[in-house]
Amino acid sequence: MSATKSNVGREGEPPPSPSFLDHAYEFLSSVTLAIALLAFIAVASIFGTLVKQQASPEEYLSFYSESTYTIIRFLGLDDVFHSKWFIGAISLLVLNLIFCSLPRFIRLLKSRATVKIPNEKALDAMGLRCLLPGKKIDDIAGVFKRYRNAQNNEGSRVLERGSLGRYAVYMVHLSIIIILVGGLIGVLFGYRGPLTLAKGETKDSVVARGSTSERKPLGFAIKLDDFKVSFYPSGEPKDYVSNVEVLENGKSVLQKSIRVNDPLNYNGVNIYQSSYGSNPVFVFDVGGERVELGQGGVYQKDKLHLLAVRYEKSVHNFGPGVQIAYVEQDGQPQTTWFLKDVARLREKSILGTTVRLDDIKEDYYTGLEVSRDPGVWVVWFGFALILFGLYVNFFLYHRRIYLVEVSKGVLVAGTALKNKEGFKEEFEKLKGKLGCS
Amino acid sequence: MLVSNKILAVVTFLYLFLFFAHLVYFATKQERVLTFVWVALYVTFGLHTAGLVVRWVESYRLSIGHAPLSNFYESLIFYGWCISLIVIVMKKRLRFPLLTMFACLIALGFMGYASFSSSVDKKIQPLIPALQSNWLHIHVFTCFIAYASFAVSFLAGLFSIFNWKSVMPPEERLEELNYRSVMVGFPMLSAGILTGAVWAHYAWGSYWSWDPKETWSLITWIFYALFLHARFARGWKGRRIALLSIIGFASVIFTYFGVNFILSGLHSYGAA
Repeated sequence: MSATKSNVGREGEPPPSPSFLDHAYEFLSSVTLAIALLAFIAVASIFGTLVKQQASPEEYLSFYSESTYTIIRFLGLDDVFHSKWFIGAISLLVLNLIFCSLPRFIRLLKSRATVKIPNEKALDAMGLRCLLPGKKIDDIAGVFKRYRNAQNNEGSRVLERGSLGRYAVYMVHLSIIIILVGGLIGVLFGYRGPLTLAKGETKDSVVARGSTSERKPLGFAIKLDDFKVSFYPSGEPKDYVSNVEVLENGKSVLQKSIRVNDPLNYNGVNIYQSSYGSNPVFVFDVGGERVELGQGGVYQKDKLHLLAVRYEKSVHNFGPGVQIAYVEQDGQPQTTWFLKDVARLREKSILGTTVRLDDIKEDYYTGLEVSRDPGVWVVWFGFALILFGLYVNFFLYHRRIYLVEVSKGVLVAGTALKNKEGFKEEFEKLKGKLGCS
Repeated sequence: MLVSNKILAVVTFLYLFLFFAHLVYFATKQERVLTFVWVALYVTFGLHTAGLVVRWVESYRLSIGHAPLSNFYESLIFYGWCISLIVIVMKKRLRFPLLTMFACLIALGFMGYASFSSSVDKKIQPLIPALQSNWLHIHVFTCFIAYASFAVSFLAGLFSIFNWKSVMPPEERLEELNYRSVMVGFPMLSAGILTGAVWAHYAWGSYWSWDPKETWSLITWIFYALFLHARFARGWKGRRIALLSIIGFASVIFTYFGVNFILSGLHSYGAA
């Protein structure tokens, strides 16, 4: 393989005094700029992994001195990938890709239309050639079935194979632009945000992540019917499942179990399982009546006011407990702790009513991630194109075979710019079939 | 102890044995030894494959069945396997004892680290929900084939720099080997990054989140893109290309190890 994108200097006389535009064009279309930009983006990305991104000022100040932090902030190293200079470098790279590739691509298209048969001298100079005495082109055409007829003249023929290989570089460059455009569409017209739902809860909007914290309507409502977590014996999570319903105008239109790796897609909105959590629910027996209180939950009956103020997983190492606030007969607010595992502190009398903490349950809620990204299919297309382009670029190669009738017979000559060794083998095989030495 | 761990420990010793067999070849320069080395390499690779398959089967016995591609131990073993695979697939171009010797040495390094380091958990662990996906196989496979190809490119570059006259393959062959392994590695790394992105889209809701592992794989990708442009658009050769392939591999190693040990992020399965 050799120069696929060699820097062929532009032919012709340079204009007497190059204008600013010429300079700009020269600069934007240079491979040097491409290499410089790629190196710059790589180095910037390294900083983006070494310095913690989008953290709070306190976090930075616990790592760095104040002056270092000022420099980090000034250079935008606390959010490299969204900084103006990083986005600027990527935009310049896109321009560079276009200015590098487009003229070369057009030149390639033009050169295709005008394939010239080299003169006999040039054919003689080709390393891979052989002469078939006393034959005509039509006699041997059958051997070249796998080659495409690029040109058919009286007494000469140009055959090609793997011509796609010449376009692969442009496919790859184009697909990088497509991927970046897809990303841009996502940034401009999409949003992402977390959505937590407790069992039975319904929501129809999400607060988008980012500087604006805008509330985005989903266009439908989502209701959590059930949430389950299962664990491996080792204690690691095995599966999280949110059974949800999609509601339109209050009517259920879709039911789905959202799992990790199996999101819900509805009207272009994707909803992913991302985390879960639990809230304690305190089960009380208040004078014989079963009462369930969440954190901040209130119970009221006659003069008895109970408020679940605070929950601790472990109160002075005596196990879980909940602090309850109530109002005394004289109007004074009071608080008291109920501890689940301590018999003495499980049952108390408040305003003459026996209040007993029977249980503390965990009420799971699901942490979903909502994202709308209209650019994702553009990105997928770019991915497919870049992989195809890379495959073609590295594993197909373009070669040409010239058949020219000369006075002694047919002259067969071949050239390939890439994979010369592979082509040599191929040509030797052809020579064997043709029976020429 | 799992049967697969035992098999893989034996495989580790076989790589050590292969290394010594190469030394014997360099001492005696007998072609017979080289023939034997290749047979031994095939046997080692076969047993290495068996080790992976048995581990896969064993994971089903523990009723947490999954391909052995999910934790740090398994990735080290798989890296060693990929290097052997590349050596065998590229046999025609890699038929230089110095190269196969160093390839075995690298495989030995990964296998030895996996088998005998106390900090590497050799147990079969259940898959956490994020890893329960068919993308796991294709993603890990493409990434590690790329890593292994870059290891070969690194060796070619290394030999070009040191230029050990008597044992070294000819310079042009090294150069060809160098860019050919990048020609395999680069599309594979691209496929690895892209399958990872598609997977991330389905698992985390975003195909790109500038997580350190993602970012470093992109840095490595950019680096090899530079390599290709320097080689083909700028016509770089010899020492300069050799140096690029060495720096490139340093970036690969950092993407693989450095990110797990030094930086933390979504991809922290390896260090766990």
